[in-house]
Amino acid sequence: MLVSFRWLQELCPVDADVAEVAHRISLAGLEVEAMDEKGNNLSGVVIAEVRAKSPHPKKDKLTLVTVFDGEDEHAVVCGAPNVPEPGGRILFARSGAVLPNGMEIAPRKVGGVESNGMICSEAELEIGAGAEGIFVVDSENAALPGVGVADALDLHDVILDIGLTPNRPDCLGHVGIAREIGVLFGVGYKARKAAGPHRTFAAGGSFDSGEPTTKLTPLWDTGSEMLDTPELPAISIEIADGDRCPRYGAALVSGVKVAPSPFWLRYRLHNLGIRALSNVVDATNLILLEWGHPIHGFDLARLGGSKVVVRLASDGEKMATLDGVERTFTTDDLLICDGEGPVAVAGVMGGLDTEIRDETKDVLIECAYFDPRSIRRTSRRLGLHTDSSHRFERGVDPEAVPRVLASAASLIAELGGGAAATTAIDRVATAYEAKSIRFRPDRASQLLGTPVSKDESLRILESLGCRIVEHNDHALTAEAPSWRPDLAREVDLIEEVARVRGYEAIPTAVPRVHPSEAGTASLLKFVDSLRDSAVASGLYEAINYGFLSVDDLRKARVSTDAVPLANPLSEERSVMRTSLLPGLAAAATRAQRHGATEVRLFELARTFHPSDEVLPREDTVLAITLAGQRSGWIGGEESFDLYDGKGVIEALVDRVFGQTPALASGEVPGFLHPKRSALVTLASRPIGFVGEVHPGVGDDLGLIGRVIYAELDVPALHALSEELGPKQARGLPKFPAVARDIAMLVRDQFSAGEIADALREASKGLAESVKLFDLYRGDQIPDGHRSLAFRVTYRDAEGTLTDKRVDKVHASIARLASDRFEATIR
Amino acid sequence: MAEPDAVQTFEDGLAEIRGAYADGLRAAGDEPELRLINARYVGPQGDLTKLLKLMPKLPGDRRRELGQAANALKQEIQTAFDDALEGIHRGAREAELTGPALDVTLPGRWQLPGRLHPITRVRNEVLDIFVSLGFDIADGPEVELYENCFDKLGFPPDHPATDEHDTFFIQGNRSSDAESVLLRTQTSTIQIREMMKREPPLAIVSPGAVYRRDDDATHSPMFFQLEGFLVDEDVTFAELKGVLTLFLRRLFDEHIAVRFRASYFPFVEPGGEVDMSCVFCRAWEGDRARTAKCRVCKGTGWMEILGCGMIHPVVFENVGYDPEKYTGFAFGMGLDRIAMLKYGIPNIKLLYENDVRFLSQF
Ligand SMILES: [Zn+2]
Repeated sequence: MLVSFRWLQELCPVDADVAEVAHRISLAGLEVEAMDEKGNNLSGVVIAEVRAKSPHPKKDKLTLVTVFDGEDEHAVVCGAPNVPEPGGRILFARSGAVLPNGMEIAPRKVGGVESNGMICSEAELEIGAGAEGIFVVDSENAALPGVGVADALDLHDVILDIGLTPNRPDCLGHVGIAREIGVLFGVGYKARKAAGPHRTFAAGGSFDSGEPTTKLTPLWDTGSEMLDTPELPAISIEIADGDRCPRYGAALVSGVKVAPSPFWLRYRLHNLGIRALSNVVDATNLILLEWGHPIHGFDLARLGGSKVVVRLASDGEKMATLDGVERTFTTDDLLICDGEGPVAVAGVMGGLDTEIRDETKDVLIECAYFDPRSIRRTSRRLGLHTDSSHRFERGVDPEAVPRVLASAASLIAELGGGAAATTAIDRVATAYEAKSIRFRPDRASQLLGTPVSKDESLRILESLGCRIVEHNDHALTAEAPSWRPDLAREVDLIEEVARVRGYEAIPTAVPRVHPSEAGTASLLKFVDSLRDSAVASGLYEAINYGFLSVDDLRKARVSTDAVPLANPLSEERSVMRTSLLPGLAAAATRAQRHGATEVRLFELARTFHPSDEVLPREDTVLAITLAGQRSGWIGGEESFDLYDGKGVIEALVDRVFGQTPALASGEVPGFLHPKRSALVTLASRPIGFVGEVHPGVGDDLGLIGRVIYAELDVPALHALSEELGPKQARGLPKFPAVARDIAMLVRDQFSAGEIADALREASKGLAESVKLFDLYRGDQIPDGHRSLAFRVTYRDAEGTLTDKRVDKVHASIARLASDRFEATIR
Repeated sequence: MAEPDAVQTFEDGLAEIRGAYADGLRAAGDEPELRLINARYVGPQGDLTKLLKLMPKLPGDRRRELGQAANALKQEIQTAFDDALEGIHRGAREAELTGPALDVTLPGRWQLPGRLHPITRVRNEVLDIFVSLGFDIADGPEVELYENCFDKLGFPPDHPATDEHDTFFIQGNRSSDAESVLLRTQTSTIQIREMMKREPPLAIVSPGAVYRRDDDATHSPMFFQLEGFLVDEDVTFAELKGVLTLFLRRLFDEHIAVRFRASYFPFVEPGGEVDMSCVFCRAWEGDRARTAKCRVCKGTGWMEILGCGMIHPVVFENVGYDPEKYTGFAFGMGLDRIAMLKYGIPNIKLLYENDVRFLSQF
């Protein structure tokens, strides 16, 4: 929210500069996010007097003006239609001045005539929105030519941008912030009476027809001239729903003349981000900014039946709002109606028909308290967030109604040259009840970790406007002020004490933490170990969004049975992912587009799947993508293939489990190459899959070349790790090993793995390992065959092997190879 | 009676081998040549080996004497061979030690490890600090119930406090019913889940992905938060200040100043935000001119880094804890933001593009 420091100082003067005030309120919870100093960027712009004016010789829209800037006369060409007659004063930017938008004023020729300086509009100086004509100084302003514009027009101010938290509706107006400053600087804040209007009248019949009323005069601080009661219709107010509208007040101003507001008011609104429109409307906005309490002005002549009814809409009821949009309501929307139909959406926006117009004479000013939840629901349903709804949905001060009406009636009467009724209607359907809150200084001390005395508490709470109902040594009972709906229970008051004292004044201490016996769940630690292992195995971690498009899933040929979002930001991110493939493939494609030759990525994240439970199932998956080329040592690049995928999985799993997984044939997902993929197993249990991405899928995903994709099922791996437990140590072998090689020519249909397994099995427990060390296809090898060479390491745990024994076993496994695999032993 | 010329032949052979071997050794330039020479005389087919096969033909009375001579020669050859070999080794080593160096700029020959994502790196750093203080790690689902994300955390119904949580709902769940299903907007949901599951004392940190419907230059619709909380008897605001001050100093720099400001989050009270000295201009070093020019802290010397507060009694009531018996504190931080601060990452979007050129920097 934008706040004028000048205004705050008027409401609650403190002996501190703006930086100090901003600092103190920021620490207390009103965070000043930016400060903008006004009136200091207009050097070289001064008041000047028009000495002569004549039409431009060539261009009929331009005027030649001679101005006197207190030192010299300057000839200026001006394009505005409203150059005043000689003697009038304008704002003159001398040659060399730099305007706020960065434009530097320099002598130049306009239509062939020398122009030396510039006569400025409000907009050019960024002191208002007026851009149609130049700014003409008011006759009441006595500033002489040559006086700087900031001084002459009293532009000095600092605008604070405060990021208000939603619990502090009281600070949505200058009065509330001034009150806060009064508390924080220990100077107190005294609500001042409004300057009373010059002319008033007794409300007479219209406000005395049995309506509950309130006298405004005690809230005004000056006497005034009493006029005759004007001829006005009697007005009645009916609250049909006292829960939605606990209080509704109305004041009356008669005989106003709608016109532009004076400069000071326009300037203040401009600085606070509100566009000036007309005196009556500007006045309602100024009251909103002052009190934080939205009010609304109705053109009394347009209120049908002279009555106001506050009721819920009927389903489908319609009204055009001020912004010209026809709105349709539900039975949950609160409306302000006249005798004929809706005239305003309560607390959100007025209706088009009853808005203040140029010909408006009599204004009915509404000041009410609406149920915050009701206003919020309506505002959200209509997609209509206004300065008014913003405040009502946070909760305005229900007890401020008479005071705000007094200020508003006075201001509107003064600005519009009208008279205000001295009595306002004040209908209370549900009386405000202050909340009584018990507060124990000991509890505050205990929670804050520092002593809080009863005296300090009393002082702080009273300064905030709490009424102390009773107190003893251990506790006090306070009634929260009506402008603080956020204060409802003891802890709220403890926060106030802490906040006003300052969090800085609370010491720091180191807590005694009771570490749990169970510690962090083993799954989480396991996940971290997998992630570390993936990195150690050469992979880079990717993090993709959890959502993507159905098309992404379809292209990747993964499950499209996905969890859909009701309100996605775009189609591209409209369902939760069912697989990590689309995200990693996109990252690989991206890298390939950028010319990366070697892509080694993993992602450890969740996939989401509809389930029978209320919440979808979330699976934790570790996925790997390899694309491009594995780099050898200087020039040895080779494209990644299945064995790279296998190798990285072996490395990754081995690091965590101390044992190597195997690949086994089985059903793999359809997005993998049918002949270049496999299941991954560990201890004979399936734990994932690995393979080349199916070339068709690769095309759809925009992948270049053979791309390897693998997934490991993290919960399955974790379960296996729990089951296998920690690795158990084995004694070191006591007897030496003997290595023998066996080479064979064998048909392709037999896998190296099954041959190795068979050889080991046939060794009667003597083969400690069987490792493939050579694979050859070539000239001397018949088609469909390959030459495999294994190194068999024999060892007997019980004794030293003799050559004879090894020869015998080795011969028997060779026989097995030729029998079972029809191998030719070489 | 043996033939005298057998003796003669034997003796001549020994003499000849002795001389030839010595010549050969001198001529040998490297180890293979040396071994070749050696094999020529003492190998299985070597001259000396052959000569020794003549021993049975020697007269009995000379056999012993000549045998000793042959053995002496064998010893002599072995010693000469060893010396020569050692000389060659010494020479080679000397040549390597004094000769040209290897080109050390050629690439190393090993598979380099990959890299953790910067968010994971800061996550781990943050977790390490809290784990060392005795906190456990927990997590929870990303797709959540409305009541865990809002109601139980004390968000009042129809309250603007939810405005900052522009929420993604799962299809068929767009209202604020307790049972509505949504993408969690904050990791504070884990507070609720853990407290419903366990009894105090609790000290837990929980990192994770959260989702909000913001997508602009400074917001990503998915980002990472880390929530921490401590519940026990007599936990104080002073301790909250202590823990977070310690944490930030360990994470960034032990010299930074830490400042607590009042603020509002529905699930904590008193609630606050934590500022720390700007780590870009190193504001704690007091170089005013440098700080004045700093764009990150806009010259203030401070940057906002954490939200925190004492757990609201309404949260305790909602999970069935006695708020008179237990107190606690909670805090939350954006891991993205910390990663960006720590690594000088200019744009949050870089974190989720998975550009290898970016990932390989950390
Ligand atoms: Zn800085």
